[in-house]
Amino acid sequence: MIWLTWRQFRSQSVVAAVVFVAAAVVLGIAAQAVATMWTNSGAASCPATGDCAALASFLQEAQQGWTMMVYVLGAGLIYLVPPLVGVFWGAPLVARELEAGTHRLVWNQSVTRARWLGTKLAVLGAASMAFAGLLSLATTWSSHRLDQVGFNRLEPILYGARGIVPVAYAAFAFALGVVTGMVIRRTVPAMAITLAVYAGFALAMALGIRSHLLPATHTQQPLNTANINGMGISQDGTMRVEASFDVPGAWVTHNTTITATGQDFTGPANTQVCGRDGAPKDCIGWLGSLGLKQDIVYQPAGHFWPLQWVESGVFLALTALLVTFGFWWLRRRSS
Amino acid sequence: MTPVLRATGLGKRYGRRPALADCTLEIPPGRVVGLVGPNGAGKTTLLQLAVGLLAPTEGTIEVLGGRPGAGPEQLAKVGFVAQDAPTYTNLTVADHFRLGAHLNPHWDNTVAMDRIAALGLDPAQKAGKLSGGQRAQLALTLAIAKRPELLILDEPVASLDPLARRGFMQSLMEFTADTGASVVLSSHLVADLERVCDYLIVLAASHVLIAGDVDDLLATHPRLIGPRDAAVPAGTTVVQESHTDRQSTLVVRSSAPVDEPGWAAERLDLEDLVLAYMAAALPDDRRAVAAL
Repeated sequence: MIWLTWRQFRSQSVVAAVVFVAAAVVLGIAAQAVATMWTNSGAASCPATGDCAALASFLQEAQQGWTMMVYVLGAGLIYLVPPLVGVFWGAPLVARELEAGTHRLVWNQSVTRARWLGTKLAVLGAASMAFAGLLSLATTWSSHRLDQVGFNRLEPILYGARGIVPVAYAAFAFALGVVTGMVIRRTVPAMAITLAVYAGFALAMALGIRSHLLPATHTQQPLNTANINGMGISQDGTMRVEASFDVPGAWVTHNTTITATGQDFTGPANTQVCGRDGAPKDCIGWLGSLGLKQDIVYQPAGHFWPLQWVESGVFLALTALLVTFGFWWLRRRSS
Repeated sequence: MTPVLRATGLGKRYGRRPALADCTLEIPPGRVVGLVGPNGAGKTTLLQLAVGLLAPTEGTIEVLGGRPGAGPEQLAKVGFVAQDAPTYTNLTVADHFRLGAHLNPHWDNTVAMDRIAALGLDPAQKAGKLSGGQRAQLALTLAIAKRPELLILDEPVASLDPLARRGFMQSLMEFTADTGASVVLSSHLVADLERVCDYLIVLAASHVLIAGDVDDLLATHPRLIGPRDAAVPAGTTVVQESHTDRQSTLVVRSSAPVDEPGWAAERLDLEDLVLAYMAAALPDDRRAVAAL
């Protein structure tokens, strides 16, 4: 059964190997280039000496040109792998057999269809996870310097392309594709539905669920007027103020400015100093005198790996549900 | 001996529509069984029930003493060539044999290679590039080299041209002569089955009309010709009747030879017998047309 599984998967595995090798070469060259910039800019001495002035020039160099492009494309590739695995490896696995009628051939060899499905799921599921895992490993390794000093890997845009979650996404997408193909029985519609459903789950996780997977830190701190990075005043005098929150590596999911008594700060603006006639400096000074506070909810940088494990657990549990359903479906068809 | 197939009150319905109903059969071993009936009669349903591709909604079915498709041993005992002889388009003939060798404990590669050589097929050829007849032969070879005790074929020659049809039937007869295995094959044409079958099952409108040894069936179903309005001979059951102004023609079932004054008995051939049963199973309005 393993031979047949491999034989039917041969061309896809070649494509995957070519993609991985090509990506690994490009990522490796980029990693080398960034390492050279790191050393040459003098930023390498920053942790030891505390003299981090060179960091800015390093970032400026690394974030322009092709090293940045590789950084972005690498993350994009990791995001693409699970849906592609689901659509091109998962969805056709059973659907194509049902469509071509070849299930009537292969299910009448001396191998039960439970073993047929089990072998296919095990071999191709492992291949999907290995493919995503190796690519994630290569990308994470290639990008570690920029992740460390330039970007925040806990932010949703980067988080899903780092660590172990891509492996769980790939397992889930593959199982989703297989089961969708089984139920829909037609390859192309199954591919489309797999893509749509996967995108729904991935977005729901990134935009809604993830921030609740682990208890967040809730804090309030006096508004530091030096951190104000946005304010607006409407015609009717209501006012809003936004200030940044400077905890390194934190993922801020909620950040509002509140009054000393705890209400959302909405003004009214002091039109004497704020607005058209006032100087921004005076307006900020006035804001500082109000005793405003920042109300903040965030996941600290230390939650990166715990979140990765919990989220992977969620997707692997979904995968297990799909696989169980797949076996049940196959048995129901015949007994 | 264990019957090849034993069905008791077997039925399969899709939603409310019955595909097969109240099917009770017992096929003795060592026969070449023809399953004949019009399109949509339930032939494919019965055969798919026999290999475990479908599960019955009523009754029970046993094949070679076991539940169809129940496990590797049961699967190894039954060879199946599905309708339209599905094969993997992208795999070569040799790949199919490797598939067979990997998935079947009793696989005989010599048989497979010999058959392919005799047919003049190139092992490196992809199955998708084969003609319909060659693909059917490949599917048959896969099923034969598995060395089954029972070979089931669903409309194996329906899509083949007359030459390929003859070649296929030839292969099948060689297989039964060599191995003594039982065979069940279906067709909507009696002509396909006449020369190879020694056991016949007629299926129409989801029901088994008759099943038995071909020789017995022919011996017990004479055609009687006699004067119009003469009494039907005692001890016979009329299967089909047609009348002109002066004379009646009956196909009857009779356990003993009919020797009744006024009636002349003649022997039916298999096709007439099958047609008589199938015409009798038609709804009344269509039967009138068929009798013309």
